[in-house]
Amino acid sequence: MEMEEKEKDNETTRPSNARLEVCDQRVKIKKWHAIAQWRWDTGNNDPEDDGEGDVCGICRVPFEGCCPSCKMPGDDCPLIWGECTHVFHMHCLLQWIGTASSKQQCPMDRRPWVTAERKVD
Amino acid sequence: MAHILEMQVQSKWNNSFTRLNRGEPGIAGLLSFSQAWKTATGFLYPRDLNDPAPRPEYSIHEVRTSFELLSKAKMLPLLMENFLEDMRKQQHLIERDIHKYMAEYEETDTPDAIARMLFRLVEWYKAWSPIPELGSILLSAYTLAFQTHIYSTFPPSFSRGFKQLIASTFSLVNASCPPPWALPADPQPSTSAAPARPDLPLWSACEALGLLDRYESLIASVCYEYIEAHVMETCAKKWEESMLTYLREWMAEKVVPWMVMPYARGARTAEEARQMLQGVGSRFDYHVCKTLCDLRLQEIFDIIVDFPDSQPALEDLKECLIRVDQRSELVRTLRKANKKRLLHPGADTQVILNQYVSIMRCLRFLDPPGVLLYKVADPIRKYLRERPDTIRCIVANLVGDGESEDSIVDENEPIQPLQQRQADDYNDPNWEPEPIDAGPDFRTNKPTDVISTLVSIYDSKDLFVKELQVLLAQRLLAVTDGNYEKERRNIEILKIRFGEAALQVCEVMLRDMTDSRRIDQHVQAQKPMPLHPTIISRHFWPPLQTSSFNMPGQFKEIQDAYAKEFHQFKPDKKLHWLPHLGTISLDIELQDRTVSAEVPPLEAAIIEHFSTKDTWGVADLATEMKIERAAALKAIMTWVDLGVLKEEDSGMYKLLEVAEAASSSSKPVARPVIEDLPSVLTVQQQQAEQMKVFWKFIEGMLTNLGALSLVRIQNMLKFAPGYDRTIDQLAEFMEAARREGLVTVKDGAWKLQR
Repeated sequence: MEMEEKEKDNETTRPSNARLEVCDQRVKIKKWHAIAQWRWDTGNNDPEDDGEGDVCGICRVPFEGCCPSCKMPGDDCPLIWGECTHVFHMHCLLQWIGTASSKQQCPMDRRPWVTAERKVD
Repeated sequence: MAHILEMQVQSKWNNSFTRLNRGEPGIAGLLSFSQAWKTATGFLYPRDLNDPAPRPEYSIHEVRTSFELLSKAKMLPLLMENFLEDMRKQQHLIERDIHKYMAEYEETDTPDAIARMLFRLVEWYKAWSPIPELGSILLSAYTLAFQTHIYSTFPPSFSRGFKQLIASTFSLVNASCPPPWALPADPQPSTSAAPARPDLPLWSACEALGLLDRYESLIASVCYEYIEAHVMETCAKKWEESMLTYLREWMAEKVVPWMVMPYARGARTAEEARQMLQGVGSRFDYHVCKTLCDLRLQEIFDIIVDFPDSQPALEDLKECLIRVDQRSELVRTLRKANKKRLLHPGADTQVILNQYVSIMRCLRFLDPPGVLLYKVADPIRKYLRERPDTIRCIVANLVGDGESEDSIVDENEPIQPLQQRQADDYNDPNWEPEPIDAGPDFRTNKPTDVISTLVSIYDSKDLFVKELQVLLAQRLLAVTDGNYEKERRNIEILKIRFGEAALQVCEVMLRDMTDSRRIDQHVQAQKPMPLHPTIISRHFWPPLQTSSFNMPGQFKEIQDAYAKEFHQFKPDKKLHWLPHLGTISLDIELQDRTVSAEVPPLEAAIIEHFSTKDTWGVADLATEMKIERAAALKAIMTWVDLGVLKEEDSGMYKLLEVAEAASSSSKPVARPVIEDLPSVLTVQQQQAEQMKVFWKFIEGMLTNLGALSLVRIQNMLKFAPGYDRTIDQLAEFMEAARREGLVTVKDGAWKLQR
């Protein structure tokens, strides 16, 4: 399903590129070194979000930062999505779930924690 | 009563008569006494040397008998008095000579006249001198009277002339030709075994006249000046070799032989001479050290500049400082020189740092405990602390900028963790007390490495780490070929110095670089694109400049395409472009030519707009791209310079499909256009950004509470999270706000401008 989508995407982009090349003959990009930031796709699609961004409800560190027990952000300190739509640093949540007082509940809404299969999109 | 007096006179007279007549019959004794008196006074009478009349001859036997007779009659004291009185009367003869020679000296200003005068005086002295057989009392009384007299007759200019004369003897030490004043009729028997020194008669004359004792300090000062002149002449600016050894050799060769004359003429053997010269010799040796020391202290700043080439000069100075206690002078001179030549706005921070490091090395060499360094370094450190770019400069050195040849970091120095100042360890068997001239606030600082010392200028190393992060970010973002091994190496080195934890952020930055490359490889494999982004973890990079414009046309397409690929590769992440950062290398194909350029994205975006429409107004373009007019104009100018655009009317620019002949094509087309606009906010900019937040607090405060004093504002701001400014910084900020018309101040109370 996904593969198909991808191919479809490619198909839609390619013709558009071709079209651009026709009318944009003048400027040819040889090499482009750009700078970008990565963000977790938390469903918060605010393009103007240049501030600190959302923070983990447990450690209060931004999602793009890392949980207190990690040193490297990103794939080394991933997020976890609950079915309750709440998002945390995975390490933070697992530690929380591991404590007795958590009663296996989401710390935000006290509903039983169920990890979402895929990110909420 | 009168009778008694008469009796007394009578007996006195009788006594005298008996004494003079010595009990001889009648007055025969009296007559012979009279004869003897006449002979003696006549013999002793000081005669005029200039009188051509021959001196009356006296047989030595007759003279001696006369003196014996007078001695028996106990009349010698009277005779002496008489002689001295005669001398006094004849003194004008000598005076005349002295004045004659001195007049000659004043006229010619050469010491020859002085020398001749001295010889002449010796002649006078000898001519008037009573023979030694007459007893030492008479002789010494005579000498004293004679010397007293000539000294009182010497005019003030004599000492000057005498000094010149003595000074001229230095050239005679090894000279073979006799001096101009040498007397051919030298009375001294100079035919002894050793060849007589040409200046020997002069010294003998001086001694005879008692000048050596009287002018001892003058003679010494001549020697001092001689030494000084020689040191200045030979040693000034000569730092590449040790001069002290040379100077000592020179002393042994030139000065010691000279010293033999004034100080050890009586010595019979070399050993004796050596002993006689010991005291005075060490005085002169001290003077050599002192002079060299003074000279080197004057030059100390430049010596340090030349370090390590000037190492020998420092060795000299070190040895001199042991002999001559000039340490406080060294501190004073160097501090003054630093203040005048180094610590002023005209000096580059890098230069100051380099000099500071050299000072450290030099003074550590001169004085290992570091007292001198501590005293000299203090003002430099204070000054550096006030410079805004000091940290940046140190950090740039830390990571080896490669710009300057002479990096302050010694390659050979082992890399070690930063050292903290340690308390004295009294269990250390090699513990030594602080040096005697250490001030009360001197802390024993063990020799530490240069970097630790530089970092310790500031109270915390956090500032360094922050600055380091900015620098590293700037460099990494500029890397386009994926080669950042140098940065990685630097970070590894810095980890040793600053500790792993402090550089964690830099670690993340480096990993972002690696990840970006891996991601790019993957994306390119899926779909080749000219775009190669560096994907960074925000929060771990210093704040970057923000901009709101978006890339137009094909750029946007490519960005979107890349972002899509990225999202597929990392499904839970997305890309957020920082469109104004980076560089684009592109070709512009026009009707008659192709222009190649490497430009910042803004420039690329502009030209992209021109490819859809030939003519644009600056204002329209700025609005279209959501950028400021000035920024748009600047980017347009880049293309105008490259001959791609041309201003038609004011504010209207047109794409040149065909190159214009004269004006525009004269510009170099392939001029590399590299924007060196720093993409990373500097620490100062970051602080300014932060201050904007605090301004909100201040504004609220002043709105609610009315006018407030600076202290109150500061105290209230302390409650704000993350506020760490000093009151001085706050004052600066408020002052800036006042200039912008946001606030007013009256009697120290600030309030909002309405």
